[in-house]
Amino acid sequence: MRFSKIKTRPESGSGFVPGPLGSCAARAFALIIAVLVVACACLSVPMVALAKTEAAVAEEGAALNEEVGIGLVGFKRYQKGALRPVNDVDLGYRYPLPSEATLVALATNEAIMIYVDAAAAAEAGLELTDAVQRDALIALVEQLDEESSRGGTLIADIAADREVIVTDAQDMTIGSYTYRFAVDAGEGRYCAVQPASLGAGEDPTTAAEASGLDLSEGALWCDGARLVPASEVPVAAAPGPLQQLGTFFSGVDYRPFWVSLKTSAVALVITFVLGLVAAWRTMGTSSRLKGALDSVFTIPMVLPPTVCGFLLLLLFGQSTPVGQWLIDHGVSLVFTWEAAVISAVVVSFPLMYRTALGAFESLDAAMLDAARTLGWSEGRIFARLMLPLAWPSIAAGTVLAFARAMGEFGCTLFFAGNYAGVTQTIPIAIYFEWMSGNTDVALFWVIVVILFSFVVVLFINLYTAHSQRYRERGGVASGRGRHRAVSESVPEAGGDALRIDREALRALIAETDFAADEKRC
Amino acid sequence: MMDLNISRRSFAATGAVAAAAVLAGCNADTTAQGSAPAAAGSTAATPGVELQIFAANSLEKAMPEVEALYTEATGTTFADTQYKGSGDLVEQMRGGAPVDILITASAGTMDDAEEASLVDADTRQDMFTNELVIVRAEGSDIEITSLEDVASVDGNIAIGEPGAVPAGKYANQALASVGLYSSDEGEGGEYDAAIADKVVQADKVGTAAQYVATGDCAIGFVYTSDVYRYDGIEVAYTTPAESHKAIVYPGAVAASSEHAEEAADFLEFCMTDEDALAIWAEYGFELA
Repeated sequence: MRFSKIKTRPESGSGFVPGPLGSCAARAFALIIAVLVVACACLSVPMVALAKTEAAVAEEGAALNEEVGIGLVGFKRYQKGALRPVNDVDLGYRYPLPSEATLVALATNEAIMIYVDAAAAAEAGLELTDAVQRDALIALVEQLDEESSRGGTLIADIAADREVIVTDAQDMTIGSYTYRFAVDAGEGRYCAVQPASLGAGEDPTTAAEASGLDLSEGALWCDGARLVPASEVPVAAAPGPLQQLGTFFSGVDYRPFWVSLKTSAVALVITFVLGLVAAWRTMGTSSRLKGALDSVFTIPMVLPPTVCGFLLLLLFGQSTPVGQWLIDHGVSLVFTWEAAVISAVVVSFPLMYRTALGAFESLDAAMLDAARTLGWSEGRIFARLMLPLAWPSIAAGTVLAFARAMGEFGCTLFFAGNYAGVTQTIPIAIYFEWMSGNTDVALFWVIVVILFSFVVVLFINLYTAHSQRYRERGGVASGRGRHRAVSESVPEAGGDALRIDREALRALIAETDFAADEKRC
Repeated sequence: MMDLNISRRSFAATGAVAAAAVLAGCNADTTAQGSAPAAAGSTAATPGVELQIFAANSLEKAMPEVEALYTEATGTTFADTQYKGSGDLVEQMRGGAPVDILITASAGTMDDAEEASLVDADTRQDMFTNELVIVRAEGSDIEITSLEDVASVDGNIAIGEPGAVPAGKYANQALASVGLYSSDEGEGGEYDAAIADKVVQADKVGTAAQYVATGDCAIGFVYTSDVYRYDGIEVAYTTPAESHKAIVYPGAVAASSEHAEEAADFLEFCMTDEDALAIWAEYGFELA
């Protein structure tokens, strides 16, 4: 016994012009491609714009002045030093330098000192006494200092009210500090700030402590680099937009996508089964119990996700007796991938449950009773009658539940945390990437989410439209062609009760082979 | 009839196959991701040890570089390090998250962890010091020459939420020193009416920096080291050291750590290895 009248009909199905399957699939495919192309265009525009501002002729940390014939490579800026001995050698307050540094720029409250190793200057052909060459060197240092400043104060900014000293002397004393520019100690080279009044054999740190001098106040920051002839500065062509896109895409951590997909797929399976079963069982219960169950099942939808997360954390965390008991018995879920799945299930469950319940309730009770009079078991009614008839609504509920699981943020963050590759789903990645200043990566994920959601919804809609169309054409299963004739002859306005009576009548008239047919399924 | 049925089935089957392929790809991907560090670890002296670090949010850019250095030197790998407000980290530990090392941005938050027996007090050491600065967006014309100037700034002021973000607590202490906040402790007080409706609270010090970088706030209270890790902000004013409690970053091995020895080794490495020190220096962390 089959009832082919369809009560709910999704929008996409109604506007669908029945045609050959091939053209429909081709159209959908073309649409997906078009969306992808548009999205890629949207993505690449800001990327290229972002990348363009960073394009430079020389490599990172390098600069050259071709006229004077000098260049700097391996430039690094150290914002802070350390008051620690190196290999038990007390240097005072020392800044690290890049390996084999031959140029040191030290900014202090009184002056800016640029030290150049005499041998390196000779090799690069730099004459410190020549004002033009001196200024060229200062300009190079200022340029690279700005590039690696990361927002700190610039040499260029403070040079105006300070003396700029270019020297090849290995140390220099200003005020109560002596600056030793390139001291080799351990395996590296350092720039050290020491007390000016340092006696022979005295340790700089103990001497400074004795005289109450704070060595870290002696300098603001320190730059180091290697001075080389201009011809030795590696010059890289500015990368093209495609290359920059390639670099960007190879630098993105794609794990949030897989985590999201895995989490929401597993959550969806659980939600689907639980939601349908809950809706089915709730339907059959007494109205008072039903009200209670309904509230419990629906409440995660009404509560803010953070409340769900907090409750889950209390339930499973070690700070509560329940959580402690669970942990003692081997159920340790907090901040694990399972926790992310549970969070997604909890928040997506009500959507599945409510849509399924709504769909089941809108089925004609008389229809179900008719099936019961024919001796169908409740399980069979559910599987063979309720599910197929309510399918369009259930499909819609599934899409909603999936979208909710995919977009889950607050509860997951609370209960599962933000562990890259484990619980960091795309929504969490977007938030944290933005917060840590990686706006372009956050933007990338935003576009991925939009595209992915679109494709999923499109697929489900196409599927529903397809099965819908199939239903409209006739019968829900093969070999029932003759029943189509029955249902098509029934006027649409008849109403279920009327239809059932008629169909029951016709079924009776069609008699035994019909009953035999039903028994087979 | 018949061919329609087949195409319906094949439609569903295509979907199922696609889903299976995606899931298979996802499994292949995760195993690939997981096996890479394991392979690196197997060649080193301490194979298979993976440390979970909870570090103050301001260490977010510098710490991964030091971790990479350590992995290269010893083969010890690191689980995804959590960078949050120090208060949040302690709460997360209380919630039962597995941790090997905790590094916070204030003595107070580490005291909380110690009181709750979350860390091994014997391993506690002061690692870094930092400075509290007022930042503005790069190129902004806001001039601040004293803490009092904060009251006359046109625009919002980003301050960390003092309960979870030590930088916010220090900021409130600094504001209290000029009467713009009612509690000298930097927590539990009220902002002066002159700035009360301009204060925007951030969940991490990095968020405060980001609010300023994006222009949502005109100025923000962050650490010097945050200026170096975010683009688009610059120092407008460095708060006097005496206006707030000393900013220190204590580190300690977690009490629940299963790799306490390796964790202590890593803390030692952070404070003594010259290459690690160079990284801290680059990002503006001064050793305590």
